[in-house]
Order: sequence, then structure tokens, then C-alpha cells
Amino acid sequence: MIEFLQVSASYDGEMAVLHDVSFTISDGEFVAFVGTNGAGKSTTMRLMNGLLKPTSGEVLIDGVATTKLKTSELARKMGFLFQNPDRQICCNTVREELLFGFQALGEADAQAHMRVDEIIARFGFNPDDEPYLLNRGTRQLLALASIIVLEPPVIILDEPTTGLDYRECEKVMEVVRELNENGTTVVMVCHDMEVVGDFANRVIAMTQGRKVADGKTFEVLRDDEVLKAAHILPPQITEISMILERDIAQLPEPIAKAHTLEQMVEAVVSAPGKRR
Amino acid sequence: MAKFLEYIPGNSLLHRLNPSVKLVCAVLFAIACFVCSNLAFLLLMLALALALAIGCGFARETAGLCKAVFAFSLILAVVILLTTPYGAVLITLPWGYIGSGSLLAALTVIVRLMAAAIPLFLVFYATKMTDITNSAVKQLHVPYKYAFTFTSTVHFIPVFMNDMSVIMEAQTARGVEFDTSNIIKKIRLMVPLCVPLLVSSVRKTNSAAIAAEVRGFNLRTRESGYKDYPISSLDVAALIVCILILVAAIVIASIG
Repeated sequence: MIEFLQVSASYDGEMAVLHDVSFTISDGEFVAFVGTNGAGKSTTMRLMNGLLKPTSGEVLIDGVATTKLKTSELARKMGFLFQNPDRQICCNTVREELLFGFQALGEADAQAHMRVDEIIARFGFNPDDEPYLLNRGTRQLLALASIIVLEPPVIILDEPTTGLDYRECEKVMEVVRELNENGTTVVMVCHDMEVVGDFANRVIAMTQGRKVADGKTFEVLRDDEVLKAAHILPPQITEISMILERDIAQLPEPIAKAHTLEQMVEAVVSAPGKRR
Repeated sequence: MAKFLEYIPGNSLLHRLNPSVKLVCAVLFAIACFVCSNLAFLLLMLALALALAIGCGFARETAGLCKAVFAFSLILAVVILLTTPYGAVLITLPWGYIGSGSLLAALTVIVRLMAAAIPLFLVFYATKMTDITNSAVKQLHVPYKYAFTFTSTVHFIPVFMNDMSVIMEAQTARGVEFDTSNIIKKIRLMVPLCVPLLVSSVRKTNSAAIAAEVRGFNLRTRESGYKDYPISSLDVAALIVCILILVAAIVIASIG
């Protein structure tokens, strides 16, 4: 469980970039942080894995304050995927890269090698490939794989789909969805509201270092005030249902509340009225 | 506080000087520090450099810089202490001794490096990088290619420092303990970081080169710059002071 208790933070000790933020993320949740650049989303992620310590308030991971833990200790609990995989990849082969985390934690035993083999098979990597010669999407997948190989109970993703094409994005996010379905807590910063709408169960919207909304994805992304405050556009399907709700009196509730394409089609098909 | 070598806007004495004059004065000041080995003279130069930094509002930046230069010069000082037996014996070593002369030489190195470095770095804090390049091309007749190469190199230092810190964070998040007190272990941990840093720097340099090329880099001549950098009486005075300092350094050095 991740708890933020009235957390404020600053990079230079002078100018606060996060003001009095509180929330709790329970085990197994898939939470997306949304908001403009500079809203404090990445700072919140860095506070979670101890890369940054709060200037006031407390960040508790399973009840223990991050100030009492080393970042390297937190690495076992919190896997962190950076936006740019090239900042993370540092080994000469895919196998070495996947083993690196175990080596850093002093756990590169036979079991670790077995786990690496499992991941290589699951992702279809060539273990002898040079990571820097892989394409951008595969490098991002490798960076993600090198995090999940350690099986952390929480993974933090800082804009995991930036620079990826649709196919690569789907590939990365499907892995993340599968992890979440198997019990891993996922915390993600994302600018792509389609991805947020498709994958996250809960959204925390931020602006200027403050939390402005926290709730179910569907509810937050159709709240006009939140959308304006956080300068975000809802996913297209939510936008369509919002427009329909605004423009058509007595819109059937299933259409108004649809937040996936499937639900929208079903709601339209089963709506009362003339049909061809 | 500004980042390393990042321009800080202002209207101090240093800000008002001509960029080329600043550069020449800083070089003259540094040469004076290296010409003379008299500790008292070097201490005076260090005091002068510090006074200039504080007077121009760069106290915090200079404190950070002094810390970094001190750490570097301390390594040199230790090497000198251990390898240059000179003067009255203070401590006997299995391979020689540390003498009063060794101690003086070590101290001289520390003071010299700090005194020489401060004005050079102040130039970058008080001048926009484009002004340094343009002024060097226009007034010092430095070919644009070389001026650009030099300023790009300086410009990339904070960029690479930032990259390094992000890469270190990424590895810390994977469980690497950089906060270990064991220096050997720390160096061993730092080696893998060179790979992502190298990759990122090569990619950045390549992108910068392509960007410069497509914007007509090779067409640029001395006349291409539209901004003029006039020399004022303040610039002349600063140059005279620096030349006098250099002359004083040469005289003191030749006296012994």
C-alpha cells in the first residue's frame, strides 16, 4: 500500500513543486496520474520510490516512511520504468540487462537465471542481442522486462508510451495489464488519455503541484471542471458520450455512461427508437 | 541557484564588460596564476577572484565551484605530497618523506587552481553563450567553426551532467547503491553508467550536428552576426588591470 500524507516536496529546498498532496493506493490498483507538464506527476512518482524525499508530510510504503528506507531497498518493492529506456539500459546483451537488477541487489543466483530465461521466452527476446541496436519499442519493452523480472509488487511507469507507435504502445500496455490482472499494483503517468481510459481503473488529476481530482477513470475523465483545471482532453468515446448527453434531451443512460467503444455500440443498438 | 555554467542575467560589472574582453581578461588572469608560484601572490589572486565573484552576485555559484575545484586539486595535492620529497622532513614515508617544501607545493597547487578557475567560470555565468561565440568570431577573429565547437562543448557539460544524474537515478531505482562509502565499489558501480551516457551523448552530438548542418552552418562567416560588441572605457580599464597583474606575476616569478 502506498500512502501520501499531506506531502509537499521541492527539488532545491526553496520552491515547492508539490503542495500538501494526500492519497492512498491499495494493492492491485491501476492508477493513472494525469495533468499538464509541470503538474507534479513525475515528482510524485519519484517520491514513491524514494528518489526524492518529502520536505513535509510522509510517504509510506507498506506503512514504512520512505525517509527510513534506502532507494536501493525500495527497488525490491517498487519497479520504476523511466520515460526514456536509454537512460536505464546499460549492459551489452539482453540477458545481461535482465540480470543487472538481480546483480545490483546481490541476488544473481540460479533462480534469478531461471527467471531471466522465463522473461526472455515470454517476451521473445534474443538473449545475445545488443540492447542499443534494438528498435525504440523493443528497447522500451526490454526496460520494462528488466523491471518486472524482479517481480516487484508495485510498478511505476513514467510516460511508458512516449515515442512508441500504436503497435508498440499496445504491446507494452498489454504486458502492464497482464501484470495488473495478476496482482501487481500499477502506477502510471500518462499524457495519452486513450491509454488512460483503456487501462487505468482510477485517475488522479494534478495541476500546479496539487491534486485536483481522484476517482474512477470514467468519472474523472468526464468531469468538465477537472478537465479544464488539469488541461486534459477526455478519450474520444467519453467525449462523444459527453456531447450526446449535453445535446440530446433524455439521452438513454447506457449511452451517456458508455466509456468504451463496445459499451457505446451496445447502448446505441439496444436504445429504443427507430431502426433501419 | 543556476545550473553549472548556466548564464545568470544581471547588470553587474562582469555583465557589462565586452564578452571578448571578459574572455581575454580571464585567460590573462589564469596565465598570471600559472606563471607565478609565489603562494602569497596566489592567495592575493584568489582573494581578488573571490571578491569579484561576490561583488558580481555569484557567491553561491562560486562556492559550489570552489568545492568542486578544491576536491580535484586535493587529489593533485596528495599526489605531490607523496611523490615530491622537498624541504625539511615533516613525515617519513617508506619511499621517501613529506617535507615542508612538498607541503608548500601542494598548497600552491590548490590555491593556483582555484584562483585560475574562478574568473574563467565567472565568464560563463555572466555572459550568454551566443555572445561569447559571436564576439569571439567578430573581435578575436576566431573561425566560427572553432568558436562554435568550444561553446558547444561548454554548453553540453551541464546537459551531460543532467543526463548522468538521471542515469544514476534510473540505476538507483533498480537497486544500485551509489551511496556506498567504499570508493572502489562506487567506481565499479559507476562504470556501467558510462554506456548509457556515451550512447546519449553520441546521439545528442549527432542530432546537434545535423541540426546545425541543415541550418546552413558552413555558410556562416564573420559578417553573419548582426550584433555589435563595442569596447567601452570599462573594458579598456579591465584589460589594463589584467595586463598589470600578468606583468606583476612575471616580475615576481623572475625575482624568485
